[in-house]
Amino acid sequence: MADTPNKENVTMEVELTPEQKQAEERRILVEGTSSGLSLQLQVVDLNRNVKFLERGITASEVHYIHRALRTVSALRKRLQPEVLAEIIAAHTSPVNQQIVADCLKSILESLGQRPAENPAARSCEPEVCLFFGLLAQLHLLDSKAYERGAQLSNVLVAMMSSTQRRTLDSVVSRVFFYYSRFFEVADCLSDARPTLLGALQTATLTNMKETKAMLLTLLLRNYLHYKLYDQAERLAAKSTFPSEAPNNLLARYLYYMGRIEAIQLNYSQAQLHLLEATRKAPSNSTTAGFQQTVHKVYVIVELLMGNIPERSLFRTPVLKKPLQPYLELTQAVRIGDLSQFQDVVQRYQDKFLQDQMLVLIQRLRHNVIKAGIRSISIAYSRISLRDICLKLHLDSEEDAEYIVAKAIRDGVIDATIDHEKGFVKSAEVHNVYGTSDPQHAFDKRITFCLNLYNESVKSMRYPGGDHRKELAYADEGIKRERELAQELENEDYDDGSDMDAMDEDL
Amino acid sequence: MPAVPSPQEITNLYENTRAALNADSPDLDAIKSRLSQLKVALVKTAIQDAHIAQNASFQSLKRSILEMGAEFSIKTGDISAFERYMAQLEVFYFDSQFGLEESKVMYPLIGLNLLRMLSENLIADFHTTLERIGLDQLQSNQFIVHPVKLEQALMEGSYKKVWQARAEVPTPEYMFFMDILMSTIRNEVASCVEKSYSSLPFADAKSVLFFTSMDELLRFAQEHRWTVSPSEKRITFPLTTENTRLFQGENIMKQTLSYARELERIV
Repeated sequence: MADTPNKENVTMEVELTPEQKQAEERRILVEGTSSGLSLQLQVVDLNRNVKFLERGITASEVHYIHRALRTVSALRKRLQPEVLAEIIAAHTSPVNQQIVADCLKSILESLGQRPAENPAARSCEPEVCLFFGLLAQLHLLDSKAYERGAQLSNVLVAMMSSTQRRTLDSVVSRVFFYYSRFFEVADCLSDARPTLLGALQTATLTNMKETKAMLLTLLLRNYLHYKLYDQAERLAAKSTFPSEAPNNLLARYLYYMGRIEAIQLNYSQAQLHLLEATRKAPSNSTTAGFQQTVHKVYVIVELLMGNIPERSLFRTPVLKKPLQPYLELTQAVRIGDLSQFQDVVQRYQDKFLQDQMLVLIQRLRHNVIKAGIRSISIAYSRISLRDICLKLHLDSEEDAEYIVAKAIRDGVIDATIDHEKGFVKSAEVHNVYGTSDPQHAFDKRITFCLNLYNESVKSMRYPGGDHRKELAYADEGIKRERELAQELENEDYDDGSDMDAMDEDL
Repeated sequence: MPAVPSPQEITNLYENTRAALNADSPDLDAIKSRLSQLKVALVKTAIQDAHIAQNASFQSLKRSILEMGAEFSIKTGDISAFERYMAQLEVFYFDSQFGLEESKVMYPLIGLNLLRMLSENLIADFHTTLERIGLDQLQSNQFIVHPVKLEQALMEGSYKKVWQARAEVPTPEYMFFMDILMSTIRNEVASCVEKSYSSLPFADAKSVLFFTSMDELLRFAQEHRWTVSPSEKRITFPLTTENTRLFQGENIMKQTLSYARELERIV
């Protein structure tokens, strides 16, 4: 092919500029559409990725492996099993370790291809083998061959547990993700749990951070699927999530933690975690579903804490439609009208059930009453218990009395009850600025800003190769300046001596 | 080692104990010793035969024994034993891997467990267990609906409803926990009452705190150090106004020092 030499010239540089990245993605996609050339080009692409992986292994540089993995999503769209078989044939040589050879054979079987003979075969590293396995998994997932996919995943996992190398980290974590996905689709997630737990142990011991992060997230998802909240909480409490994990894993982990804490009534922690999750996840079209789910839980947690989430949250275009029932719920809670609240819950019951939020929403009943009492107490300086009972649709005056007493104790309102005359008297509103509340609020915001500053300083990165060029420029600049300064000095000296001479003459 | 009892022997012992329990005036000590025998027999069988776990009839026998143990511990008022039995039974109730048919006493026992958590103020555990029960049961099953309604009433603060719910318990075993619950909420009501009333006449105080006699009220008032004036027949509650204008020197010092330190770090 005439074009192939050009493509081989594509730089092996790791960090591409954004324009180069886009150009490459476009190239892969565009060329995939033309059929006759596509097979050849796929082989070329796959070969290039294999070269990246091998270079990464020899140099122990994780960047190359990430580069190869980045192209996986583009390759996935137009992968053909025949191409993969051809490439695997090119790597099946007798030099391979036994376990690698078995793995390659099972990949071929799962794709339904026969092993082909290729005399010019190269040896195959475990990473390359796992990379092929990953591509095979994606193909099976896309073509909905779930049982074969599950079998293949089992084989891959068995292979991974025998070889433990640092460079395997990123590939292994992705293989585990699809392993769990196959089980989830086949609805037998609990079977995956023992393997995942064992792998978590291994990953922690061999210090494979990305795999550990991925496994923790997968296990939490597993427990939440079966509603085993206390087991999930114990797992999260006993293990530390690696801080170098990529942002998308961190976002998922924070979301799961937020949900567990919300169930366990730990609302303030839940709110922090969920807010961070929304910030860590990139907000583009592919993450829209994630953002919607996280925001739903976030709204409910805010309501349970007694704060009303801002209206602007519901107006963002991505969230507008899915969050519509939650908007109406928020309005009912804000007004404090119990009948409206019941109404909304009744109307959207199926939707809340689907989102698994219904039980949390039942807890909101108490908040509705609290909001109602608060608004009444602010509006009236004195109100009889009977009127309160009517306004809040409570059953009896005694109920109203008890509820108001509890509200006073909880600090919702500031009032006293006069039992004989049967009314509630609100206390005087005193000047907030006279207390130390503003100080606390300011303190919170100041610490947040200072933390933000510290974190951004810590995460500064310097550009790669350009750094040295800049240093070279800077060095030259300094040298030139020094020369200039010396020349100036010499000139001054000459001028000065001329001047002196002239003065002397005069 | 004494011989491993066969499943048949265990079943016989179970039937005997069950009959003894259902009798009019059960001999509690004898039943207790028989229960321990049953438990030991269960463990022995499990150790000897690793595959017994797959045997469905053995599992249902084990479940029935545990349920009987739970009921017995309620009768004797042993709350920690009840908690242990329930922890073991949860595996049977929520994991449908054994394929056993639903036990008749499952929901009453779960309801009792929920009530126990309420009475000990373990709201987090209450909600976690609630999540595992299916939604349809939450709304229809009378054994579950009772604790759920109670928890809602407690959260709102309508203690009158809780007091009235004493009359509506689905089974007599619930009364045991209701009494414990009553003393818990009595303390709650006391703290609410302290903050919201300046003073109360005796008669009203008695009804508010669900007391039946004056002596109990006076004793309670003494425990909580309320001033009782027999002449006017009133109880006065001590006023505790927070001094919000108090200068909180230490806090402000700490905060300002941390600001200074952070600002100095800015290059």
